Amino acid sequence: MTSDNKKFDAVLMEVIWTRLISIVDEAAKAIVRTSFSTLSNEANDFACVLTDSRGFSVAQNSSSIPSFVGALPQTVRHFIDKFGTDNMHAGDILVTNDPWLGTGHLSDVCLIKPIFYADQLIAFSATTSHVPDIGGRLRAIESRQVFEEGLQIPMMKLIRAGETDETLVTLIRQNVRTPDQTIGDIWAQVGANELMARGLLKMLDDYQLNHLNGFADELFERTEKAMRSAIAELPDGTYEFGFKTDGGEEPYFFQIALTVFGEEITADFTGTSPTQPRAVNCVYAYTYAMTAYALKCALLPDTPNNEGMFRPITVTAPEDNLVNTRYPAAVVARSNTGHYVPVLVFGALQKIIPSKVMSGAGSPLWVFTVTGIDDNGKTFANVLFYNGGMGATSSADGESCLSWPSNISSTPIEITERNGPLFCHFKRLNPNSGGLGRHRGGLGQEIMFECTTDRPLTAMFMTERTRFPALGLDGGQEGGIGAVEINGIPTDVSKEHILKNGDQVLLRTPGGGGYGDPELRSKSFIEEDLSQGYSQ
Amino acid sequence: MAKFSLGIDIGGTFTDIVAYDHSAGRQFNRKILTSYDDPSRAVMEGIDALVKSSHLNPKETARVVHATTLFCNALIERRGAKTGLITTEGFGDSLEIARERKYSLYDVKIRKPEPLIPRILRHEATERIAANGAVKTELDIVSVETAAKALVNDGATSIAVVFLHAYSNPIHEKRAIELLADLYPQLSLTASSDVAPEIREYERASTTAANAYIKPLAASYLDSLANKINEKEIDPALHLMISSGGLTNVTEAKRTPVQMLESGPAAGALAGAFFGRDDADGNLLAFDMGGTTAKLSLVDDGEPLTAYSFEAGRQERFVEGSGLPISISTIELIEIGAGGGSIADIDHLGFLKVGPRSSGSEPGPAAYNRGGTEATVTDADFVLGYLNPDYFAGGMLTADKKLAEKALDVIAKKTGMERTEIAWGIHNVVNENMAGAARVHISERGRDPRDFTLLCTGGAGPVHAYYVARKLGLKKIICPSAAGVASALGLLVAPGRVDKVTTVGMQLNNCDLDELEEAFRQMEEEAALVITETGLDPKAIKFQRLADGRFSGQGFDLVVSLPEGPYGGKKGETKRKELLAAFEAEYHKKFSAMPPIVPVDFLNIRISAKALVPDSAVLLKGRQNSSSSAVKGARPAYFPESGEYVTTKVYDRSYLTVGERIKGPAIIEEEGSTFIAGPDATVNVSVTGNLIVTIMD
Repeated sequence: MTSDNKKFDAVLMEVIWTRLISIVDEAAKAIVRTSFSTLSNEANDFACVLTDSRGFSVAQNSSSIPSFVGALPQTVRHFIDKFGTDNMHAGDILVTNDPWLGTGHLSDVCLIKPIFYADQLIAFSATTSHVPDIGGRLRAIESRQVFEEGLQIPMMKLIRAGETDETLVTLIRQNVRTPDQTIGDIWAQVGANELMARGLLKMLDDYQLNHLNGFADELFERTEKAMRSAIAELPDGTYEFGFKTDGGEEPYFFQIALTVFGEEITADFTGTSPTQPRAVNCVYAYTYAMTAYALKCALLPDTPNNEGMFRPITVTAPEDNLVNTRYPAAVVARSNTGHYVPVLVFGALQKIIPSKVMSGAGSPLWVFTVTGIDDNGKTFANVLFYNGGMGATSSADGESCLSWPSNISSTPIEITERNGPLFCHFKRLNPNSGGLGRHRGGLGQEIMFECTTDRPLTAMFMTERTRFPALGLDGGQEGGIGAVEINGIPTDVSKEHILKNGDQVLLRTPGGGGYGDPELRSKSFIEEDLSQGYSQ
Repeated sequence: MAKFSLGIDIGGTFTDIVAYDHSAGRQFNRKILTSYDDPSRAVMEGIDALVKSSHLNPKETARVVHATTLFCNALIERRGAKTGLITTEGFGDSLEIARERKYSLYDVKIRKPEPLIPRILRHEATERIAANGAVKTELDIVSVETAAKALVNDGATSIAVVFLHAYSNPIHEKRAIELLADLYPQLSLTASSDVAPEIREYERASTTAANAYIKPLAASYLDSLANKINEKEIDPALHLMISSGGLTNVTEAKRTPVQMLESGPAAGALAGAFFGRDDADGNLLAFDMGGTTAKLSLVDDGEPLTAYSFEAGRQERFVEGSGLPISISTIELIEIGAGGGSIADIDHLGFLKVGPRSSGSEPGPAAYNRGGTEATVTDADFVLGYLNPDYFAGGMLTADKKLAEKALDVIAKKTGMERTEIAWGIHNVVNENMAGAARVHISERGRDPRDFTLLCTGGAGPVHAYYVARKLGLKKIICPSAAGVASALGLLVAPGRVDKVTTVGMQLNNCDLDELEEAFRQMEEEAALVITETGLDPKAIKFQRLADGRFSGQGFDLVVSLPEGPYGGKKGETKRKELLAAFEAEYHKKFSAMPPIVPVDFLNIRISAKALVPDSAVLLKGRQNSSSSAVKGARPAYFPESGEYVTTKVYDRSYLTVGERIKGPAIIEEEGSTFIAGPDATVNVSVTGNLIVTIMD
């Protein structure tokens, strides 16, 4: 690798950084514009990343959700290990959706493009996006192994020096329910990968650089230093936190031991339940992403995601664990468990930096999937997302009904009613669901749908905290638990249900936990809650 | 008889009045401080002064056009009416639950924007319309009466009514409004089907609430201003600029004042587009950089692009998603935290950051010597020699370059860099911020930045335009005279315009085209009625049909211009093909991707009706000859190409004549701004008086 002998001073760092962010954000806009999956274009369930030639993350698009923090660069490094950089060429696009190499479930297809400057491999552009369908069972939590969850694409070349592998494309098309849309989304990603490559090469020309590693090393060094000094300010020690969650037949246990030692931090998940014969298992990369996300929120929220931030963070978990699952476990609903990871991290950190964390949130994300035959005889699937309340913090009440740690909007009721035979009776805040405390948790909501067709519908639920609530911190009380009822009767959410005409489904999302002793809550806040009807 | 037009633009700080004499092609400007307690007072004083100084006869006024940021400010500062909301039973919280998405990923203390109507003032009525428009539950009159009574008792003076699927069938909303008007004639009333008849209950409710919130204020202000103007023997009816850049009359503006929220910025964007029109070969990237922000907008063939929603009252000014969604047509503008007052500092990673924090006009940049000590973009521009401390703001302000140097030295010391390196660094970083925002915005529109000409306006725009253009790879810059653009002249070139939208949710390959035609017709008739009421000739109206389309399954709508109607009848099937072709062509153009082979859905359809206003011709003329040379001296200025300060000629813009040609580097000063021409620039003075700058490689 040649050297530029550049002096990366405060100005050059900033202008290059600003340019790189505009390159990844520009690629992100291109994906939003051209993808079919509402998960990509409305929920930002995708990521665009530039890495250096070693697969270390340099820049990631600003709006990508926490599940992708640091995950995609690992995918790049898996490709480097597997193929070797000598076997990568200009015009290649590499592909995989392996949950253990990528971002945790088959729906996320990862594309990697090696970028060359004067015949030297200098960087990679990487994208991952949640495609509309990847085959397999539909969001089935009952799957026991990954084979039931859809098509597996091992590490391959989708495009080899400009030539598309038509065999692979044909194979993908044949294995998914929505071939045009799934392949359409993959091409949207290819476009974004190309856009990043073009933008990067232009940037190198503009600043007379011939590689990215010099800038990258300077960036990593500065970020690592900032992260290390933030950690160094924490008292050394091991801080533990744990709780039970709804689980399957039996509750699951989640446990963290967060060890601060000098400038480094280790999150160990020993004590968390083992891998389950259900699709709720979480791969290591996802657990790592969620841990890094929580640490960033608490320690350095304004620092960009890059390799330097990750270096002082170690994540360990026993093999075959719920949060470090092994092939071929089923993983599609990994958010049902992975979304608890940042809650664990906050619970442990509360003991040392109480003002930087949040009590338990009414998460994970709730998903209600309804499939059936519409009036025109066509199969439809309506995937509806809903959120609970945020946890309270040491200085403020939690917000009501907000997606966390993910960031997925709920579908408007008017759109839902237009798209399928469901009628909504109400979608309203659920008073009293915010955990009491000096600061109150955010409220959950309740939504009631009625089936309005004679053709039976199949309903599936991904819901959490219907048995174990979001915990409060520092004396704050727990948030209200969630509930799913069909015709007024509590429902076993682990199973599919058939809805007949007139059947009513009630979804009650959980509230967030409170923070601090409820006795200390100011009178005016209590009165305001009563007058607005947030509590009764 | 000589006739003139009058433009009135009320901004946050200044009220601008312009009179344009059509026969002589002359304009007269007046700028005075906005009078907050009664904004019409400053307007009247301004008009009086202008009439007097320019010897105009008020009776010869041909038209009066007004833009204002008052309503937007009232909303941001939460100074609107106590407003109540009546919704369908079960959905009163929709305004507060909102979209359930965070605008900031890493902030655990995030706050959603506070709804304009608190929960205590939100009531529910028994009624229900189904998605297809069928009445599922009849409107229970008593439930509306009960809700209204409670709201009135709680002191509400304005009520918004938002029923589910009212975009599809407004019958219940209409009935509720009639009932309320009968019971409480003094109340301001707003129905969602009237303001934003679009699917998505939260966005519609948010827009309706905003309208109701500012409606009483708008009514009293507009009536009072109209009266005062008429008292001056100015006969023509007052016209108002709406956010789309069109005009409307007082009655319509009082009915849906939410349309005027972006009135001020729209006037600015129109003025920019107008000044660039004659000198642009293609499309413009309008770049307006002022004291605290820079605004970017795209102009196609002389017309600023339209957006179909925007956000008001953001929690964080520059963060998308942190505001209240307003679903109306508006001139598309993006705003970034980069202005002359933007503060530079070193962040925790040792990067030089510039903005969005700003010193504003008080205390202002360090060089102003009014208490500001932090280094700003303007301070850097002084140190680089781009700005003249002895002739700042046309000599109205004096600046002390030493104070700017001192402020920059603080940063130089932190980084171990030279003062000049820091000064150039600040200039360079703020330019990169703006170029980056432009690049992402242009990409969102599916375009290539190199196809644009840069149009620079605002106090700081001309200072930064050259190196912003270089970063984007643009070859041409247009710089109108600062005094001209800052005037309310843009108001006088606007057409009458009405935009309408309705939700149809049709699949193009099998929908009933007669039904589609009927839906367009109905909107066109409604729009024509409004335009006619504003006193314009209905025959002069040009309609544009558009649709928010998507390939079935996509989650993103693309607003596409459609071929002319009628769509139904015998030639229906040919039209169907044309409609599909129009959609596919636009898709291809925007995304440079082949359209997939799936059916096309039209979710919403829109029309835009425009009618040119007589007497709206305004001519731009540059100076033909000059008694003396425009060169007024020389001073050292820093250009990175030379790596040092070079003695650079300084020109007085007011003495430049049409056809003059200046090689860069050069400094061209005028009252209100300074154009910096870099070493590869050639500046020509156009017949319009604009500076046309060509950048050679």
